[in-house]
Amino acid sequence: MTPVGIEAMNVFAGSACLDVNKLAEHRKLDMSRFENLMMKEKTVALPYEDPITFGVNAAKPIVDALSPEEKDRIEMVITSTESAFDFGKSMSTYCHHHLGLNRNCRLFELKNACYSGVAGFQMAVNFILSQTSPGAKALVIATDISRFIAVDAGEALTQDWSFAEPSGGAGAVAMLVSEMPYVFQVDVGANGYYGYEVMDTCRPAPDAEAGDADLSLLSYLDCCENSFLEYKKRVKDADYAKSFGYLAFHTPFGGMIKGAHRNQMRKTVKAKPKEIEEDFERRVTPGLTYCQRVGNSMGATTMFSLTSAIDNGNFETPQRIGCFSYGSGCCSEFFSGIVTKEGQQRLRAQKIKDQLDNRHELSMEEYDDLLKGSNAVKFGTRNVTLDTNFIPQARSAHGKETLFLREIKEYHREYEWVS
Amino acid sequence: MTKEEIFAIITRHACEVIPELEDHNFQENDSLKDLGANSIDRSEIVMMTLESLSLKIPLIETVGAGNIGELAGILYEKSQSF
Repeated sequence: MTPVGIEAMNVFAGSACLDVNKLAEHRKLDMSRFENLMMKEKTVALPYEDPITFGVNAAKPIVDALSPEEKDRIEMVITSTESAFDFGKSMSTYCHHHLGLNRNCRLFELKNACYSGVAGFQMAVNFILSQTSPGAKALVIATDISRFIAVDAGEALTQDWSFAEPSGGAGAVAMLVSEMPYVFQVDVGANGYYGYEVMDTCRPAPDAEAGDADLSLLSYLDCCENSFLEYKKRVKDADYAKSFGYLAFHTPFGGMIKGAHRNQMRKTVKAKPKEIEEDFERRVTPGLTYCQRVGNSMGATTMFSLTSAIDNGNFETPQRIGCFSYGSGCCSEFFSGIVTKEGQQRLRAQKIKDQLDNRHELSMEEYDDLLKGSNAVKFGTRNVTLDTNFIPQARSAHGKETLFLREIKEYHREYEWVS
Repeated sequence: MTKEEIFAIITRHACEVIPELEDHNFQENDSLKDLGANSIDRSEIVMMTLESLSLKIPLIETVGAGNIGELAGILYEKSQSF
């Protein structure tokens, strides 16, 4: 069978971040409850950043490293998102343009809340496996930003929503999927998927998020269990505790995956609390590290956790990583792949930790200014020129060319590279 | 199993998850949240209770209880339909 998986991978975690501990104090949140979130920082998208700038900035180093011949083999660009700003035009068209890709290419977008990145990845994997175009590559860009205007609490929409603010982040992961899986070789056919209709969290209006935090948490746990049960049906002898060197989770907040991991370890291998704690430190923490610094980047989060596990794990011997994705609404999937030392070295060349360190840390004053809305580009904006003097130090935070939104002209988004 | 017995199982697991509740005199209208259980704690208590009852239902079917008495009621009804 054709090998398949991730040839190259990179992230973009924005130009600005916020220390969420300071945010929690500023908002006078119950600090004992806040600690259970297990979050440290979150990326905050600035007005001149949007899902396109995030996605293109993540993908650019991957594409630039290809020879012209290799680049021409990218025959599919999928954007995976719940933050698109147009119901018809796919963001993949903008990404394709700004990355300078071949026109003989499929361009489209996928949605299923936080599952979108993995949905896009699996579609790319199946395209490669189908061998309808031998040697082709697919570029999957999972990109999402948070909306900060929560809808008013209603009967089913709970009071806990204030705790979404410290964990709602932004980020993008770009994955080049091909027959040369240097970074992550997929275990073909080892997929447990599980989905059903549930109204847990959603984006029911253009600039609003809504949700029932309790329902979402329980649905996540139901899916975590059932997707692995399906995986186990298809992979003889799969053992939750022994088959995977590391686990990567969709991470709405750290405490969530701590609960999910504890539940899985108790149910699948009847592990005791001390053993579960040690296992969490050893197999889950490497994948949690970056997620704790970016916040929930929705469709990009599971793959963000995968980059964190690859960067921070020990791959002296090749390791299998088990990945769990959950998207509200809902659909979920447990799948796995192999990572080698070479894969880790290739990913580390992207210097993801440095990217996170380089972000401009917003003061509470800057952050509150941002929320007041006068600077926000609302859904449906027809014409606007972005203020380049707003937090200008963020624009050079990365010390290299970074794409920003310059203006919107008759709904068309125009961007500029700034160094 | 009666609803009262299910109520007792829930409170037993609540004490396991939150040891400070050991000496608490549980009432039907106590809410786990008000007793200091965060959303993860509450999900643990529900999961442990389902395991004790050998009740295999999706966790999301236990949503909607406002207090421990109502949760016991929901679980009692589910256990009757098995």
